[in-house]
Amino acid sequence: MRGRRVLVVWCPDWPLTAVGIEAAVAGAVMERTGGSERVAACSAAARGAGVRRGQRRRDAQRVCPDLLVRDRDEEAEGRGFEAVAAAVAALAPRVEIVRAGVCAVPATGAARFYGGEEALRMLVQDAVVEAGFDCGVGIADGLFAAEVAARNGGGGLIVPEGGSAGFLSEFTLGTLNGAVGDWERIAGILVRLGIKNLGGFAGLAPGDVLGRFGAAGAAAHRLARGEEARDVAPREAVGELAVVKEFDPPAGRSDEVVFAAKALADRLHDGLAAEGLTCVRLGVEVEFADGEVAERLWRHDGLLSSNAVAERVRWQLSGWTPPPPPPGLDDAVWGGVTALILTPDQVVPDTGSQQSLWGPDGRGERGTLPEAVARAADRVQALLGHQAITRPHLTGGRSPGERVLRVPVGDLPLGGRPEGPWPGRLPEVSPSVVPPAPLRAEVTDADGAPVVVSARSVVSAPPAFVERSRSRPQPVTAWTGPWPCVERWWDPDEARRRARFQLVTEQGAYLLTVEGGVWTVEAIYD
Amino acid sequence: MGALNDHASGDLTLGPLVAPDEATGGLLPVLAPLRPLLPPLRPGAALSLAGSASLGLALVAGAKDWTAVVGVPEFGVVAAQAMGADLERLLLVDEPGPRWAEVVAALAEAVRLILLRPPAQPSPTLVRRLTALTRKHGCVLAVAGDWPGATARLTTGSASWQGLSNGHGQLVSRRLQVTSTGRSLGAGRSAWLLCPDARGRLAEAPSPARHLEVVA
Repeated sequence: MRGRRVLVVWCPDWPLTAVGIEAAVAGAVMERTGGSERVAACSAAARGAGVRRGQRRRDAQRVCPDLLVRDRDEEAEGRGFEAVAAAVAALAPRVEIVRAGVCAVPATGAARFYGGEEALRMLVQDAVVEAGFDCGVGIADGLFAAEVAARNGGGGLIVPEGGSAGFLSEFTLGTLNGAVGDWERIAGILVRLGIKNLGGFAGLAPGDVLGRFGAAGAAAHRLARGEEARDVAPREAVGELAVVKEFDPPAGRSDEVVFAAKALADRLHDGLAAEGLTCVRLGVEVEFADGEVAERLWRHDGLLSSNAVAERVRWQLSGWTPPPPPPGLDDAVWGGVTALILTPDQVVPDTGSQQSLWGPDGRGERGTLPEAVARAADRVQALLGHQAITRPHLTGGRSPGERVLRVPVGDLPLGGRPEGPWPGRLPEVSPSVVPPAPLRAEVTDADGAPVVVSARSVVSAPPAFVERSRSRPQPVTAWTGPWPCVERWWDPDEARRRARFQLVTEQGAYLLTVEGGVWTVEAIYD
Repeated sequence: MGALNDHASGDLTLGPLVAPDEATGGLLPVLAPLRPLLPPLRPGAALSLAGSASLGLALVAGAKDWTAVVGVPEFGVVAAQAMGADLERLLLVDEPGPRWAEVVAALAEAVRLILLRPPAQPSPTLVRRLTALTRKHGCVLAVAGDWPGATARLTTGSASWQGLSNGHGQLVSRRLQVTSTGRSLGAGRSAWLLCPDARGRLAEAPSPARHLEVVA
């Protein structure tokens, strides 16, 4: 496979630029490797005087006595390079920072826009130089060839399409230094085998290279043949595994987007599989022409086929449109869709999955759902969001509300509170109505005075009336309590001290709580 | 049709007529104490529930299959489990919002019973659409409140709690009168239930009249 056209911006001796040493000044940046300080990078003037990468500090200073020496500052390198990336991004989108000093953009579209690759190359170079940095810009098939092109020809050159292998063949083995781990050792062996340049290396049979030098050797071999070790990924995507499809002009109909989603999901799966990963949650982001962004997370579990992803995108589109579509435009997407982004949200190593052999559906270790239920839940999540549909899990706790944990469908339940003992837990009969938030109430005695509970859990007077908000007081026919409940007394911030009552009136039975003199209806036995 | 003969009410079926071959195994079971009031429910049936929230819990507990609770954020999960509900097969949509009908339509394809409290009064057109959908997918709709298309209606009457007196004891059980009315139920039926009994379950209770006879 031939690599895509890539434009690479290379800023020479970036580590020196980052620490403020200009090319005309003899300077070097030191890196401590092992026991000694060695030259990590040096300026052109220092190179002219004989300073080389990897030299010891003492040797470098011997060949160039007025050498300006600094420690390497990798953080400053990364920070400073943002300015270069921003200058490039102003011309062509989807900038990928390969490392500090080198960034890449896909060249095909931008070259078409600016009227040819040479025009694009000059434009980018001028923009970066204007921003105050020296640079070389090269365009070639694949990232590595483009970087070599950027470093050569005095400011970069363009390698014609399909010419990468031929272009690289004349370069020495050392060109691959840094591009592949452990290359120095491999290059040493190759030299002894009589191979002097990349062309000779590229001429070896791939199988032999892999067998002799392993994965690093195979990667180097791919690069020497003008192929890509990896694809240029867009910078603005959240994870590097995210896949993006842009629509220009904006897609007006949902089926257009859904169709693209299928191909996009294929790419996502390929990318994940290549990394040996699987994703547990998939983020789908749809950008509309009017600037709205519809974002949803979908639980994945490694089971979503490309068709299933496409279906979810369709649901998301139909679930997003708030007003009913105008008649005749049933399938119209609101404002048009400009981009679709699939992001693997939680990535885990792929350990393979095995459907349970025994037992009915929905009893799997990870709580897998029957197909129809999972689909319906997905649909509801498309309409209302991930949190909208839940499954109840019972955990420990004292009050009926505490004991139920609502876990969104697809999420794994968190390790809840431990199973008992829970002193002060409510007795066996559980209330049938548990409001999400307690309701305010007033409890008064026969004289109309509020009932209070003392520190020793004694009521001031028997409760005679309960008054819930906006209703008339109900006479109490029977009551019991107080049941004191002191929670987390060891933690001043979370400590709670309350007392519970069960009250029966003509209209029903209530579980009431008094805490700090405030009465609330915690649950209703309805 | 064998399932119906067990309840000595073979002529009682709720919901639309279906071909005999579809009827096998398609009935939604209800808890035993409710059976005198309510024969097993045909797919597509709609029930209207009024009064105690425990009626909804009892129906969910009896379903023994995937159920969904829509628009009832205060659903007593612990109490439902005590009645026999399978929490592994329960879905909760607490806040369906204005698009509740679409939520119900989506869930109808997957679950056997939906307990619903619509956030808004549905239009007759919407009721017909939802009825057609539930019938198509074999799902029973139990609505807390009025429902124009209901084939039966359950209401609760007088109730009395046991176990509590002034300042001591605890709620143990409740006697509750439940009445069912509907197209095929004639003048309506009524029964006294323990809802819940001392173990939180639904049980039959002797009627007060018979209770008095024994004492006398």
